[in-house]
Amino acid sequence: MKILVLGTSSSAGKTTICAMLCRYYSGKGLDPVPFKASNLSLNSYATKDGGEIGMGQAFQAWSAGLEPETDMNPVLLKPSGGGIIQAVVNGKPFIDYGNGIELDRGKVMDEAVKALERLSEKHNIVICEGSGSPAELNLMERDIANTGLMERTGVPAIIVGDIEKGGVFAAIYGTWRIIPDHLRPRLKGYIINRFRGDAGILKPALDRIEELTGMKCLGVLPYVYLRFPEEDSCSSSEGRLEGETAREAFIRNIDEFADIAEKSGFDFDGLLKIAGS
Amino acid sequence: MDCIKNRVNSEIKKGWIGSNTECEYHPCHFSGQDCTFCYCPFYPCGDTDLGSSTPGKRGKEVWNCSDCLLIHRKEVGRYVMSEIRRLGITDVTDPRIKDIFPEMKRKFWHPGRALMVVGATSDAGKSVTVAAICRILHRRGYLVAPFKSQNMSLNSKVTRSGAEIAMIQTLQAQAAGLKNPDAHMNPILLKPKGDDISQVVVCGKPYADYSVKDYYDKFVTGPGIEIVREHIDFMKKRYDFVIMEGAGSPAEINIYDKDIANMRAAEIADASVILVVNVEWGGSFAYALGTVELIPEKDRRRIKGIILNNVRGSMESMREGSEKLEKMIGVPVIGIIPHIDVALPSEDSEALRDISGKGAGKIRAAVIRFPRIANFTDLDPLFMEDVSISYVQSPEDLDGADAVIIPGTKNTVADYRWMQERGIADRLMQMKGKVPILGICGGYQMMGDILDDSLGIEGGKPEIIKGLGLFGNKTVFAEYSKTVANRDAVLLKGHGGEITGYELHMGQTETAEEPLFRIESMFAKPWNEGSVRESEMLFGTYLHGCFDAKAFRKYFLSFVKGGGAAPEGDGKTYAEVLEESLDALADAFEKNMDVGRLISILEAEE
Repeated sequence: MKILVLGTSSSAGKTTICAMLCRYYSGKGLDPVPFKASNLSLNSYATKDGGEIGMGQAFQAWSAGLEPETDMNPVLLKPSGGGIIQAVVNGKPFIDYGNGIELDRGKVMDEAVKALERLSEKHNIVICEGSGSPAELNLMERDIANTGLMERTGVPAIIVGDIEKGGVFAAIYGTWRIIPDHLRPRLKGYIINRFRGDAGILKPALDRIEELTGMKCLGVLPYVYLRFPEEDSCSSSEGRLEGETAREAFIRNIDEFADIAEKSGFDFDGLLKIAGS
Repeated sequence: MDCIKNRVNSEIKKGWIGSNTECEYHPCHFSGQDCTFCYCPFYPCGDTDLGSSTPGKRGKEVWNCSDCLLIHRKEVGRYVMSEIRRLGITDVTDPRIKDIFPEMKRKFWHPGRALMVVGATSDAGKSVTVAAICRILHRRGYLVAPFKSQNMSLNSKVTRSGAEIAMIQTLQAQAAGLKNPDAHMNPILLKPKGDDISQVVVCGKPYADYSVKDYYDKFVTGPGIEIVREHIDFMKKRYDFVIMEGAGSPAEINIYDKDIANMRAAEIADASVILVVNVEWGGSFAYALGTVELIPEKDRRRIKGIILNNVRGSMESMREGSEKLEKMIGVPVIGIIPHIDVALPSEDSEALRDISGKGAGKIRAAVIRFPRIANFTDLDPLFMEDVSISYVQSPEDLDGADAVIIPGTKNTVADYRWMQERGIADRLMQMKGKVPILGICGGYQMMGDILDDSLGIEGGKPEIIKGLGLFGNKTVFAEYSKTVANRDAVLLKGHGGEITGYELHMGQTETAEEPLFRIESMFAKPWNEGSVRESEMLFGTYLHGCFDAKAFRKYFLSFVKGGGAAPEGDGKTYAEVLEESLDALADAFEKNMDVGRLISILEAEE
């Protein structure tokens, strides 16, 4: 089983939700594993075998009770300033590109797909995280982690929208509409994140989005005052983070978030059905 | 009346003068105004497009046209004077003067057009876009004004007539070159009091408190919509263009029918609509497309253009995406605006949500970040000095501060409790005498000995609370009423100096402390305001905007360790800095937006 968690924007909550899903399903005796085909981040983690991956995947791995490994984030893009980006592939520096030097996207995409295949053989559900928004009309042709991955693997996907800044229904509908026609049927559901108040008032909008797109709302996750690691320059979270080590504190927060999600009626079973489709 | 007649007669004698920049009140209405007729020769014209009958002081109806700007348009002043001369009129009582009026009105008066700027999200850049468009049109000689039917904000200002409106509309009015922002520009102001309740201010005066649900179910569908209609009509009759600002996203389809701040207001105003999207977070094309397409067809046709705002990456790449977007939805992208760094005050506390501080100056001013912090734009002028601000949410945040500011709050009692519970109050008391401490408005009230809320007006339950005791003051919340006033004041300490500010508060303070300011008024004897203990470096005032003038800024900062270390700024007033920022903002929009297209959208007839 595989599921791709897309976001309507940066910092919509993809990383944390993927970690929460890893935590929840591993607690239910499943064997989830995190994956992000391509990560644009300067926050990286060194795996035991000396590879480099995005910090977000390391936290997600611990949430799943696993040791981080390079297959979980086969492509890491590290902006090194002056328009140059270092591409780390399978944990090792691959090429510095930009300013006239191109990244061989086909090759990198192949490596990402192979890494995903290796993970699927060893684990029964792969929680894939998208990158940024999948609906950037100007970047879509070069995409790796969103439509790029859908194109190559047919992975079913859901969309996370952040309601806190407003316009979340427009963002979810707009994302669905911009995804190319042949991939759109693979969009199966969506999540509203960071909601404050009585979710009952959203009902007419949730119905309308389902009517327009066929996507079901898997859950309206409440705003939580918990701090999670900041993956990229755009995201920032505030809130509580207490514990011996960042890792322990994070796991404690993820446990709490999974409980909150469950209590809010999040459709974990529905998500599994999508992942198996 | 004779006095006014004589004035008009002497104006007639003088002839057309254009702008009178020598006048000490110039410009009293808008920059570039015509001053030929300081007093209108047609008064009272009785034309209800231009004024209205209102009850006067003695109960008699009087003609009120104080918001009419027609006679101050250059082309109108010139035309009326030339007609007076042509007809050989020398006295305003000449009956032929009334004959000039109909032709003048036919030639020069027409209802204005409205444009609404909506955002795909909160913080999309609506406010600055409205300000930029106001300035661009003002620079091209149009009479233009901002409008926001409903604004939820704790940053408000007091107009010259004593009405309370959102600060951002006063800034946009400044961008439009208008000198007297008024309550018509923001007829409904929502001030969150916490716990789901907001105070609703209508036309500048407190109206009632509502819960979110009651606001939508009772107010919006009841009086709300009529209030919006009345004020939009008023504005369109007085300006060439009314640039309206939406609120949040216009595509919140769960409350679409109850939203009077966005497409419904556009419908009432028959306005074309521009959608602004903040590109910074990503997903901007999806936000744009989704917003346009989720809006029902009957309203969607109003959307005439999209502005992609706050671009930090490649403009060229955004243009490629824009072309594709335009093909998909049929709405053109009329502007791709890069990230602009200008010093403009931020609209609401959302802007403070994720930041722990602001500015890069050496003097570190710690500001207590109350949950209901209000009028925090009071502090913006400090950035003209060598000051940085850090927001305090825990006692440790006070460590290393060179000065402490206790700002205003929507609820003094509740936020005072918050400060105590967090241990900030205790830590603050330990700093007494070591660094200068200033309380503004609610913060000033907290610095006193006693907060007497025995009627439960402020905190909900009746109680008398012991304040910080930094001053021997007592503040009583005796009735549900609010002081709302503009003030001219003189600083009584240091080198003195004039300041202007405004008061906006519940409760009244009794004090025996040495006063900080003396308030001067044309209508009353001067009186003292504020409290000061220089030896303990304690300062308190009700005056919002006290830092706008250099006099008080320099005085307060002179108490920072190192005595008078505040370096000389470049001598500009805060108003001048804002003026430069508004020009820089407008320049950036002119450069990256198709202004010709914007104007054709504005002028297009439906």
